[in-house]
Amino acid sequence: MSDWSKVTRPIPVPDEWTKPFWDAAKRGVLELQRCQNCGDFQHPPYATCVNCISTDLKFEPVEGGGTIYAYTIMYHTGDQRFAGAVPYASIIVEMDKAPGAFLPGNLLGVPYAEAKVGRRVEVLFETLNDDITLPQFRLAQTTSTA
Amino acid sequence: MVASGASDVDTSTSKHLRGKYAICGIGETSYRRGSDQTTRSLATWAIKNAMDDAGMNAGDVDGMLSYSGNDSTFSTFVAGDLGIRLNFYMDVHGGGSSTECLIGIAIGVIEAGLCKTVAIYRAMNGFSAVRIGGTGARSAAPVTGDQIHHRAYGWQSAGQMFAPSFLRHMYDYGTTPEQVAHVKVAHSNHASNNPKAYYKTRLTPEDVVNSRVICKPLHLLDCCVETDNATCIIVTGIDRARDCPNPPAVIQAIAGRTCKPRADMHYQHGPISTVAGYYAKDILWPNAGVGPEDIDVTGAYDAFTFTAMLQLEDYGFCKKGEGGDYVSSGIINLGGARPNNTSGGHLCEGYTHGMSMVIENTRQLRGEVDDFCPIGPDGKRQHTYDYAEGGCRQVKGAELTANLGWANPGTGSAMVMAKDR
Ligand SMILES: [Zn+2]
Repeated sequence: MSDWSKVTRPIPVPDEWTKPFWDAAKRGVLELQRCQNCGDFQHPPYATCVNCISTDLKFEPVEGGGTIYAYTIMYHTGDQRFAGAVPYASIIVEMDKAPGAFLPGNLLGVPYAEAKVGRRVEVLFETLNDDITLPQFRLAQTTSTA
Repeated sequence: MVASGASDVDTSTSKHLRGKYAICGIGETSYRRGSDQTTRSLATWAIKNAMDDAGMNAGDVDGMLSYSGNDSTFSTFVAGDLGIRLNFYMDVHGGGSSTECLIGIAIGVIEAGLCKTVAIYRAMNGFSAVRIGGTGARSAAPVTGDQIHHRAYGWQSAGQMFAPSFLRHMYDYGTTPEQVAHVKVAHSNHASNNPKAYYKTRLTPEDVVNSRVICKPLHLLDCCVETDNATCIIVTGIDRARDCPNPPAVIQAIAGRTCKPRADMHYQHGPISTVAGYYAKDILWPNAGVGPEDIDVTGAYDAFTFTAMLQLEDYGFCKKGEGGDYVSSGIINLGGARPNNTSGGHLCEGYTHGMSMVIENTRQLRGEVDDFCPIGPDGKRQHTYDYAEGGCRQVKGAELTANLGWANPGTGSAMVMAKDR
């Protein structure tokens, strides 16, 4: 199991595009940007839909689980803030209900070796400080299908 | 194999520049850790060496291009140090994949009449100062912009960022680290015949997969060597190049910097293990008038063993998914059908952001690779074509080369060069 207790993560700085995402995370809700014209989800958020360049974009709650699309296990880290956690799993997740939008995260709560392509995961929230809460992942607690 | 495309030149398209420009001069400093020199000093030496190689004086060079990531020196300083008066210069941001693309820009500005001859350089203290591996100054930089989507989760260095692409390739196609380790093995064999190489020791696949893991699936020996050095390439028109002391390496086609959709977040828009070469190949091969099967020597960028493998695959040297078989088949070794990075590349010779791989292929086309073979009474190297350790690394009859430059999975450049007729 990776020991995250000594890690002080870099604190993300919200900007005009990402602020709704961080505001929702602080409330314990995963919200992703969705094009109201073509219906595509995208992450990270941008000024326009990268599929149809519509500017009619809204943040919508995304419930349910996802699947690990790709990952790596870090055994060495240049950023010394993460040195205490090695080895740790950094994963890329595709959410069932937001196809096309891939989310980065760490796989928490299980040994890093549990990270595998295709594993079912669900969102949890890691509070970094009063302003920023980080969406994260753990193995799915309930059995569900994509 | 001779370039077969001469008869199909369509002068209404950019293809008509095929064969009209060449590399006439190459220069480098030694590949070291601890240069005790500024990047300005390193750059000056590399350019001077390239000018000597091209038989050129200060008055013969009137254009300059360089690339860096805020870790180098600018053309205006270096040109002045060398007594060069510039008619054109530009210093651009970029690392890997810049070399081929800047050669294309040089051709464009010469064609447009801005200048006649362009020196392209990359000067870096890649070990002593700014390390791409992400230690040192890079790790202290504040987290801004899109970085929030990876830095907070412990992604930072190039290897960490690329590793998910490599792992997903393993998942989709059954590629193994043992197969891909053969890239390092081949390059280490090549480096053992290169007096300049930083690492000259021959390695086995077991050496690679038994070295410590940096980030899965990358072992320490899957990663390139960070070094201090400068490198230079001089580009000019084919007629002028033919007046230089060394045979021209004739530029057939360039693609770059070609991108996947949304290059900054490439895995959001397409398979994560597809690289920019998938798109660049459709510019490179038609413009060159040849295909991968015609190429004698490749220079697939080897920041990591996996980057060389992924590019060889997406440029069509083998079928998609068969890159692991290709690099472990012996094809990429000296003595194989199509050796890759005969200098030892970034994995063994030194880290140059791509310049050294173009320099090596230029030497291959000249038939003048600087290996351990004896130099004859005519001043030319007497190649033995014995690729045993400490021997030759000249590819017999090399007539066509392909360089495949890598910035990241989402961005790449490429170039085909031919021996002069
Ligand atoms: Zn749209």
